[in-house]
Amino acid sequence: MAAPQIPHLLSLRGGHGRGRGRGRGGHRFGHHESEEDAAAAKDHVVQATDGDASGSRLSAVELGYMDDPFARAFHYEQDSPRRYPIINRGTYVRTAALDHLVTRFLSAFPSQPKQIISLGAGSDTRWFRLVLADPSLAHRLVYHELDFSTNTSKKIAAMQNRPFVWKVFKDSLPEGVLEKISENGTRLESPSLNVHPVDLRDLAREGIPASEIPTSLPRLPNLDPDVPTLLLSECCLCYVSPEITVSILRTFTTSLIPRRTPLALALYEPIHPHDPFGRVMLRNLATRGIDLPTISTFSSRRLQKSRLEDAGFEGGQGAADVGWIWSKWVEETERERVGQCEGGLDEVEEWDLLAGHYCVAWGWRDGDGGEEESVFWRAWGELDGQEDEVE
Amino acid sequence: MSDLDKAIALLRACRLIPENQVRELCYKARELLIEEGNVVGVDAPVTICGDIHGQFHDLMELFRVGGDVPDTNYLFMGDFVDRGFYSLESFLLLLCLKVRYPDRITLIRGNHESRQITTVYGFYDECLRKYGSANVWRYCCEVFDYLALGALVSGAATNLEPTSATLADTFVDTDDSQSSTPATDYADIDIEVLNANNEILSRYRRRDRDPLMSSSPVRGGMSGSNGAPRAAGAAGTGATADSGGSASNDGGAVLCVHGGLSPLIDTIDKIRLLDRKQEVPHEGAMCDLLWSDPDEIDGWGLSPRGAGFLFGADIVKCFNHRNDLSLIARAHQLVMEGFKEMFDATIVTVWSAPNYCYRCGNVAAILELAEDGSNAGFARSNGDAGRSRGLPMPMPMPMPGIGPGGLQGQGQGQGQGQGGGGLIPRQMDIGHRMAPGRRYRVFEAAPQDSRGMPAKKPVADYFL
Ligand SMILES: [Mn+2]
Repeated sequence: MAAPQIPHLLSLRGGHGRGRGRGRGGHRFGHHESEEDAAAAKDHVVQATDGDASGSRLSAVELGYMDDPFARAFHYEQDSPRRYPIINRGTYVRTAALDHLVTRFLSAFPSQPKQIISLGAGSDTRWFRLVLADPSLAHRLVYHELDFSTNTSKKIAAMQNRPFVWKVFKDSLPEGVLEKISENGTRLESPSLNVHPVDLRDLAREGIPASEIPTSLPRLPNLDPDVPTLLLSECCLCYVSPEITVSILRTFTTSLIPRRTPLALALYEPIHPHDPFGRVMLRNLATRGIDLPTISTFSSRRLQKSRLEDAGFEGGQGAADVGWIWSKWVEETERERVGQCEGGLDEVEEWDLLAGHYCVAWGWRDGDGGEEESVFWRAWGELDGQEDEVE
Repeated sequence: MSDLDKAIALLRACRLIPENQVRELCYKARELLIEEGNVVGVDAPVTICGDIHGQFHDLMELFRVGGDVPDTNYLFMGDFVDRGFYSLESFLLLLCLKVRYPDRITLIRGNHESRQITTVYGFYDECLRKYGSANVWRYCCEVFDYLALGALVSGAATNLEPTSATLADTFVDTDDSQSSTPATDYADIDIEVLNANNEILSRYRRRDRDPLMSSSPVRGGMSGSNGAPRAAGAAGTGATADSGGSASNDGGAVLCVHGGLSPLIDTIDKIRLLDRKQEVPHEGAMCDLLWSDPDEIDGWGLSPRGAGFLFGADIVKCFNHRNDLSLIARAHQLVMEGFKEMFDATIVTVWSAPNYCYRCGNVAAILELAEDGSNAGFARSNGDAGRSRGLPMPMPMPMPGIGPGGLQGQGQGQGQGQGGGGLIPRQMDIGHRMAPGRRYRVFEAAPQDSRGMPAKKPVADYFL
């Protein structure tokens, strides 16, 4: 059946407190137990959206929409969910769109070292797919995945439990270099792939009470402040407040990756919350305990682009919704192939609605080199984006 | 109380009937349907409904808004199953009603009434889940094969009959010279839109129609309660053929079909000649009738659905003229306002699944056609009513792939463009049948827990 698993709140409730209070001790005044519990439950629901994404990916892969030898390994449930064609097509487009942006980044000045930071990466398979396709990439690309520790530990365990996955990882390491895995299994460090257990909110400096700002930033070993860096956020930054999102990005654009270094952000988020489809979407997600706090602030392609510019990605910005990407970026032969995966798509009007409510947006800054040598200008400067909405 | 009445009572409460009763019901239904022609003759008054898609609670709301069976005559244009969580309850109830009141309810086939499609879109899984085997799915699929491909409604009144309905707060009258009071004279009104509370939302007068302003289609009004957009600014739109002179006062028939037209079908008689008792083929006339969509193109185009075709205003006007039709009513496409008239009101899409898939935020509509006063009494004939309607006037049908529309449609917008028609030669308007008076009732999704029926809260899929 195509209906996704509903995260069962009680079964998801572990012994953890809300992420940002964890390990910092002390009684926190003004926080009733019930509030803590509610916040923890909300976190768990957000963490569980990763299972939704991996299930959708597995469904699309098993039905032939796309190729991903790692989809089964990183879907932690035993089930084989089957999504409706419309969802499978959306999964395909979302993956293809971000792959497109990533590939163009990696093939601009291809020998130059590069870095990718995937926010809320969860069970994402992108690094494995990239390195399987081109093993030499591992020597010039440092990859970081950030997520809640509940998600990073599952990921690292899944890597270790699947010999062919583990081999892809081990083969990516230079001769004689060993990976480091923390004792509790939540952190992986290596010259190629790093998996960091981080509550992204701990990277925020604004938008939270002063007493809750940690004195130091979470540790991100092997983060290189000097190589061109691409930040990825696939349905991740939309789960915190707009202030915190802005603040998290500011930490990246100013502290972690200094201004001299080229830096870009590619994100994938829902938009258009105010039309009938958007209102029902918010209501339906709310009944699953999922809030989208940023959606009314960054509610359109236009506002997503200006949000990127405001965040310091002044080199250029682009945005397009999933429907537009399907018809403009995906080649016709590929559209025909995908269209026939399940014998045609009868959800045409619904596709237009759904696909119009998710957007991919990208923006970059050139760093000290300026436009001439800018890797992002070369990667994305000529890339076609969709026109702004008529508002 | 007969077994059939007991089954109806159970199903109305959203409870299933035992497997052996389903088998018996499907057998009886087949015996009944086999007697129907490919195009069922139906006399007005009749209420025309679009896709249901297993949204059982909304089907109950439809009956509340439109009147119960057998008090109201219904014509359902297919897509009873798939997508929603209660395809079985919805389809079996409609089938029971068909067997119980064969002259009061007409069911025609949608593209989802097919073995292949139901295995992809949920009905097969639902049968397995609720009956533990595929038997019931098989019985239902055998019924699907016998469903008619279309219906021809005759005897519809060209003018609306007055109702006792009051005006909604949001009432839009398209005639500026009139104050917003209920019309006592309905002579010139050919469209009236009502909400689920029997309040008039808007009204369109035939004489207001300015063909030059026909660039936006008439769309459903919305009750303001959910803040949905209303049919504002739609005045003078969706012009029908000139009412002055050229149009006949005698309303032509209304062809009802799930999808639309086929390049292989230029007369209704050709539909009658098809061998329909089979699984929906992947191509050909029968497939097209269930899969095609009207679109703002000239001629024929490729369908983004991968089956059927897109067809333009010229195709519809030509077909209607040739077959002496005033209107084609079809379903198949989600329209946010529940209904959408296109091509100078020569074709209308009716969509009856509100908040489709518990996700789309749309309202639903049904279309009521009243009985023409001159048509005495209610009668309904199985089979070939109206056979002689086709005019012997040859008119070449443009073929797919020819003309600028040939390649349009792939990944194209909402397929909900403007209802223009400016490219249609003027002479095409001559001799148009006057469209029947159309009373649309729009309604929203029923709350799932109303009426004490079991309701599992369905979960809609999103990208997370
Ligand atoms: Mn359909």
